[in-house]
Amino acid sequence: MPVFKTPFNGYSVKFSPFYEHRLAVATSQNFGILGNGRLHVLDLSPSPSPQPISQLTSFDTADGVYDLAWSESHDSLLVAAVADGSVKLYDLALPPTSNPIRSLHEHSREVQSADYNPVRRDSFLTSSWDDTVKLWTTDRPASVRTFKEHAYCVYSAVWNPRHADVFASASGDCTLRVWDVREPGSTMIIAAHESEILSCDWNKYDDCSIATASVDKSIKVWDVRNFRVPVSVLNGHGYAVRKVKFSPHRRSLMVSCSYDMTVCLWDYMVEDALVGRYDHHTEFAVGVDMSVLVEGLLASTGWDELVYVWQHGTDPRAP
Amino acid sequence: MATQSQAPPSDENPPKPGLTQAATENHTQAATENQQDVQADAPKQSSPTSVFVNSEPMREEQVQNAVKFLSHPKVRGSPVVYRRSFLEKKGLTKEEIDEAFRRVPDPPPTVQTGGGNQADGLKTSQGMQTQSPVQPLQPAAAAPTNAISPVAPRYRFHWSHAVLAVGLLAASGAGTAVIIKNAIIPRLKSWIRKVVSEEENDSVKKTDSQPSLAEEAAAAAKAAAAAAADVAKASQEMMNSKNEEKRYFGELMNMLNVQVQEMKSMSNSIQKLEGETNALRRNSLIDQDDHQFNVINSKRPYANGKADYDSRSVRSASPPAAAEPSVAPHPKSYMEIMAMVQRGEKPPNVREINDSPPNPNQQLSNPRLAPRAKPWEVGQAQNYSSQVTQSQASSEGVYSNVQDNGINYSSNGDSSVPWWQRRNPRITEIENEDEFKSGSYSTQTTEVPVRRAWVPPQPPPVQMAEAAEAIRRPKPSVQKESSDDDQLEASSAGVTDELQRVTKVSESGGAVEINGGSSGLSSSEIQEAKDEIYG
Repeated sequence: MPVFKTPFNGYSVKFSPFYEHRLAVATSQNFGILGNGRLHVLDLSPSPSPQPISQLTSFDTADGVYDLAWSESHDSLLVAAVADGSVKLYDLALPPTSNPIRSLHEHSREVQSADYNPVRRDSFLTSSWDDTVKLWTTDRPASVRTFKEHAYCVYSAVWNPRHADVFASASGDCTLRVWDVREPGSTMIIAAHESEILSCDWNKYDDCSIATASVDKSIKVWDVRNFRVPVSVLNGHGYAVRKVKFSPHRRSLMVSCSYDMTVCLWDYMVEDALVGRYDHHTEFAVGVDMSVLVEGLLASTGWDELVYVWQHGTDPRAP
Repeated sequence: MATQSQAPPSDENPPKPGLTQAATENHTQAATENQQDVQADAPKQSSPTSVFVNSEPMREEQVQNAVKFLSHPKVRGSPVVYRRSFLEKKGLTKEEIDEAFRRVPDPPPTVQTGGGNQADGLKTSQGMQTQSPVQPLQPAAAAPTNAISPVAPRYRFHWSHAVLAVGLLAASGAGTAVIIKNAIIPRLKSWIRKVVSEEENDSVKKTDSQPSLAEEAAAAAKAAAAAAADVAKASQEMMNSKNEEKRYFGELMNMLNVQVQEMKSMSNSIQKLEGETNALRRNSLIDQDDHQFNVINSKRPYANGKADYDSRSVRSASPPAAAEPSVAPHPKSYMEIMAMVQRGEKPPNVREINDSPPNPNQQLSNPRLAPRAKPWEVGQAQNYSSQVTQSQASSEGVYSNVQDNGINYSSNGDSSVPWWQRRNPRITEIENEDEFKSGSYSTQTTEVPVRRAWVPPQPPPVQMAEAAEAIRRPKPSVQKESSDDDQLEASSAGVTDELQRVTKVSESGGAVEINGGSSGLSSSEIQEAKDEIYG
């Protein structure tokens, strides 16, 4: 299984929705405290012999890159969430000297996450430590809308996979909010945890289920129709859970990564929910993704400056 | 619509009010579809995103608790956003919070004004001119009163109450004193008389009766005196206990305040020591005045359970440290860099990079691939139809691909299978089954046969086509209902042809602006039908 060493500490990894063999990694120097950033685009080669993972291109940024999002409409377009508050767009089809093609600077603090709309395919969200979520389209130089209701950093904003105008945001004010871009404010407030919520994701096959990952080491699955009590509480991580992602192929499968350096797979419909555990990282595991095009393909990155890509069921560190 | 649908049957069949709709199949189907659509229309228009909106009624108890919380003087001093955040964390909905905010500006007048008056009275008149009998108590209680003035209203009420009670007790004490005086004198006199009469023991019976009378009087007086003494004692004890309670309460409040201060200082020192404040690095670069709260200037995405923002929230009693989730140990170099940044040094390996766009108006390149349908969108017929039409172009049939690959692999086929796609073929098949089954969640189950095999969709989904027709063109669809089956089939074929045309157009165009939020490849009509039916 291939490993890619990044010069900086990994922050986020995402598979391309267009090419099965392509993924991008967001990295930041000095653990993201103070330093430059780099966005890598990696390709998996069909045969493992010369080099299983190779870098297609990379882009340097003045500040750390905390997250990225692949465009759903353009196979070569990338959105980068940068720690200096800017949102940068990169086009891989253009020569590197023409990149970035846009730098949108509206957030007043670090941009923590970026997510592209999988239904409309023309807009994306960014969430920031300035307590806001902003909606953008690729053709406009300014944000379309700003959603300001959270009382603390918004760590994650994720579109609903079926409803084009609905999204959820997870914040350090311990609430999960569900929004509809057609409404002026949030439509639902779920007091999901007693500690900060670092990540959330919608169930791709049940558009009313959301999973939240929190500093309290647990992952909770919520049904928005009955949001007072979680559907399921998944314990097992030793430290804060940094990211959670639902499988694009299985209804109740999700993957999570945590500061306990492990990547875990969960099936929340099953009694013994933990179905897989990978402890290949030697530092905080900060980013994880499941490929939409290849079932069972996982990628993870962490502060140990390594990017792993492996199939579920195999050992990520196997050669 | 209903009247129109009834008109034609009246020509053909004798009009039966109840059974008109059941008369002819075609017309009933259309009529019921219309009615269903109308009914579906009505709720849709009233609550288009019904699932993602909180539909609970307002809980009065929660609102009242929130009002009490918001009326608290300490809460009134905090920023509004933190008050709202606290209530949200308690699980209140937006409506409940708004209602509580609405109610708070007019609090119960007695508490506030009474408290205000008392506060002014006691604060300004240090000489305690209010109640004279309670003068000795006032100076002692003045200090705790002033210290606990934030809790003034209820306390003052209590205080005046106590003052009144003490006054009453004093009055009764005075009264009992008078009674005692009156009782002692006759007692003394009777006692003297008794002694005297004992000395004159051998005298007249009158002397016996008098001492008896005197004795009775003395006994009664004694009893009265004893009772009065008891009463006085009890009242004294009550006063003492009340004073003690007041003292305890004052001490308690002091201790609580001290504890709160200690906790605040503890959390302060913890932050400084652990140095986990990531935003301290940011403060060195960006302005530090983003947030008003003085305790913590930092934002902590990697807080790992340090619920330190509690100290800036309205909850004064932060959760104890033991209950907080443990903090993940950070790498040593991380701590080194944090220390460096806190000292104001820049780590050595940071370069100056210009990452601004060379041409801010750079045109996006044209997309080379059309967007693919997501695996969870397989359940929609339009996508499937477009998938199949496009399968050659972009190798979209992931399942078929993977299945083929899996089968190849199992049969030890060629190594053209990318290593990241090798999987158990058995799982593939089962999963494909699952996907298709789970995909048929939609209420239009007639779509399933259409999805499974690429059959020209002409025959089966008759109702669906009519629904689509009805939604798109209500009147023409009604007119079409009056025609016979052939026309319907033709129209349904026409609908599906349109569907194919629309999907093809959307494919080639890329981002076609289709209203009503759908996956980029589907037609709007079917999408609207689906949205209406299941919200």
